[in-house]
Amino acid sequence: MSLKCPVCGKLKKDPVDCARHMFGTGDKPHKAWFEAQGLSYIDLLLSQATEPGNKAYIEVGGLIAKAQQG
Amino acid sequence: MTANKYSVLNTRVHNVDGYAKVTGRATYTFDVKLPGMLYGKILRSPHPHARIISIDPTEALKLPGVKAVVTGKDTLGVKQGIWRRYPELCDEQILTIEKVRYIGEPVAAVAAITEEIAEQALDLIDVQYEVLPFVDDPMEAIKKEAPMIHEGVERNVNVTRHIEWGDVEEAFEEAEYVREDWFKLGGQAHMCMETRATVASYTSDKKLTVYTSTQSPYYHQALLAGVLGLRESDIRVIAHYVGGGFGGKFELDASQFCASILSMKLSKPVKIVFTREEDFVATKRRTPMYYYVRTGVKKDGTFCAREARVFSNGGAYTGMGATALYLTGFFHSFPYKWKAYRYDGYRVYTNSLPSTSMRGFGAPQAMFCSEQQIDWIAADLGLDIIEIRRKNAHTTGYEVPGQATIGSCGLNQCLDKIEQWIKDRGKLPKNRVIGISAAGFMTGGIFNWFDTPYSFSSAVVTINYDGVVELHVGAQDIGQGSNTTLAMICAEALGVKLENIKVHSGDTDHCPADLGAWGSRQTLMAGNATKMAAEDAKKQLLEFASAKFGYNIVYDVDIKDGWVYNVARPERGMHYVDLVKEALRGKDGQRIVGRGHYTPHRKGMISPAYSYMVQAVEAEIDAETGKISLHNCVTAHDCGQPINTLGLIGQLEGAASMAAGYGYLENMPVEDGKVMNPNLVDYKIIRAPDMPECEIIEIDTYEPEGPYGAKEAGEGLTNPTAAALGNAIFHATGLKMKQAPIMPEMIVNAFKEKKKGGGTP
Repeated sequence: MSLKCPVCGKLKKDPVDCARHMFGTGDKPHKAWFEAQGLSYIDLLLSQATEPGNKAYIEVGGLIAKAQQG
Repeated sequence: MTANKYSVLNTRVHNVDGYAKVTGRATYTFDVKLPGMLYGKILRSPHPHARIISIDPTEALKLPGVKAVVTGKDTLGVKQGIWRRYPELCDEQILTIEKVRYIGEPVAAVAAITEEIAEQALDLIDVQYEVLPFVDDPMEAIKKEAPMIHEGVERNVNVTRHIEWGDVEEAFEEAEYVREDWFKLGGQAHMCMETRATVASYTSDKKLTVYTSTQSPYYHQALLAGVLGLRESDIRVIAHYVGGGFGGKFELDASQFCASILSMKLSKPVKIVFTREEDFVATKRRTPMYYYVRTGVKKDGTFCAREARVFSNGGAYTGMGATALYLTGFFHSFPYKWKAYRYDGYRVYTNSLPSTSMRGFGAPQAMFCSEQQIDWIAADLGLDIIEIRRKNAHTTGYEVPGQATIGSCGLNQCLDKIEQWIKDRGKLPKNRVIGISAAGFMTGGIFNWFDTPYSFSSAVVTINYDGVVELHVGAQDIGQGSNTTLAMICAEALGVKLENIKVHSGDTDHCPADLGAWGSRQTLMAGNATKMAAEDAKKQLLEFASAKFGYNIVYDVDIKDGWVYNVARPERGMHYVDLVKEALRGKDGQRIVGRGHYTPHRKGMISPAYSYMVQAVEAEIDAETGKISLHNCVTAHDCGQPINTLGLIGQLEGAASMAAGYGYLENMPVEDGKVMNPNLVDYKIIRAPDMPECEIIEIDTYEPEGPYGAKEAGEGLTNPTAAALGNAIFHATGLKMKQAPIMPEMIVNAFKEKKKGGGTP
């Protein structure tokens, strides 16, 4: 399921890929999106970095997908 | 052996600047003396993290012979960096204004009539600091309670980089064996023979001439313009001879900045030469990293999936560290085919000297982890270490998903040759063992972070009345021999002898812009530009020759070895010099000028081409002392078409030396933000007696993107050696080395642990 980045509109192949792009870009507008969702960019990033699995990307990807479906 | 089809290429040539260098006539920046020149010295921070309350230079200025003291307040306060495309990564004020972030950071600079007086004046500058809490380890710096090093950068995460292809989770499900390991990689000093040095001379007509030891005169011209508020064209950067760079000299350093600021203040030339200690503590280093690697394979050794996570110790500023972070992730997949791959890299600011690019650009760290883990996996599964690599090796035409297309690849031939070498070596002397490692590397980084509108490389060829060819290139020879390589390409393309070529480089007033000597760019990129310029000039000559000879087709005429001739009847022709004379007269005295340029388009994310290599090292390990001795170092190497075989051997042996140093000698401990061994006694590099016998087995391939099929040689070989050494230790002792450099005490302690029954580390 391809998705558009909610900030810059870049087309990504699936929700996780889109989340990875958002974390990876990490500039002010992308970080602001996290804040607007009530999320901590840095906490999610570091949980992704230090914990096994792909939890933060999956969580953020899910939110992006849900928002776009809505 | 096949006959050499070229006249100049693929021969053994001494460097074109060799006479100047061995006779001492080559002028390095250190040798530059200008009338009325003053000497500069830099005051550096003694604290890893502190706020500057005040700087009072009054007493220093009273010292006879002192001409000026400058601080951050004398500058425009511009935060600089190479990332003109990404301004948020330009985070460094070279003379800091508010805060220092590492021990050795420049705080003030002095100009005096002698170096000694300038040195004395440093002690008289009164700096008041408010010392702040500091952190020098990335795993500590990301914690919530860690001090914030740059305002607004939460948890000190400087940059992140991510690479992924395939379905990683699914591919791990398919794997029949999964292994995970953590590694810790140390820093390494660039250790250029010529320390950082600059002579800056500003004149009242607002022109600045900067003699400096640099890998990219064009970068320094542009960067200085940005921080000094001058027009680029009013700055001339000259670097005729450079005593090494290895990735550490293409960013702006304090010698260029402070010498320029002082010269602008005084309208006198100012020279700053770093001491060896300054070069250690106050310039950037190879990036230390924490590496997590998880790999899934089938029982037959087929690679399924790999996941890697890296925390790099970025130090106080970004420098080129963001690219090193990306490239380590990219090369960690090399040189194998992975169904699925995921890399997450995090660069973390710390209060230690900044980390940046260094020969290998992230790949030595990646290969140390990857290539050892492959041997450990092979041992667990009972597989042959050559066969597991062969089964998964890159091949010509392979596409690294979304990243790169491999235009030429001789990896399997390299594996064959090393396998044969090991067999031929037969029974080894007692305590000796062989370890191997494979690697691949880029041939010219496709990174325009500098956001330049100029082509990546360009060349201009001018032919004189006497047949001498002037080759102007912006590519910088930093000792690697690029001027010789480019002269050979020019001679081959024009069909003249090498002694007819005069190379001009290292002067921004006379040479076209070029991104510089990094990322193994020179042979492929500047080589393509040179070939194009020479062919352009040759075409103009041949048009004249064709008209003169009266042949019906222009392609009937060619030039080889200085003879212009009819291709069908080579005896019919004339000497090249005679033709040049006639051509110039025929063009009303107008010179023949050829132009060439190269910018890679649609060549992937990283590089237009990739070199490949497999290395075997024969080592001896003393179980009592942990001492490692290297005895043989054999490399099967695919660099496409070799240009200068003598230069090639020099580059590869130099790379093996630096790489072995990274593997077991060059320890750079940093305690409380301070480098503990900033001198050539305590920082151990490979000396002549430590250097193993080196042998290079060249594998012939043809790289379609390279000039005459050539690609990288010399940087890539810094990548496999440390891993090969680790593998030798593993096969000799069963110990798994998870830290580089591998120090004797690690081996001794690992043996102790093993004896206690703790297994391998």
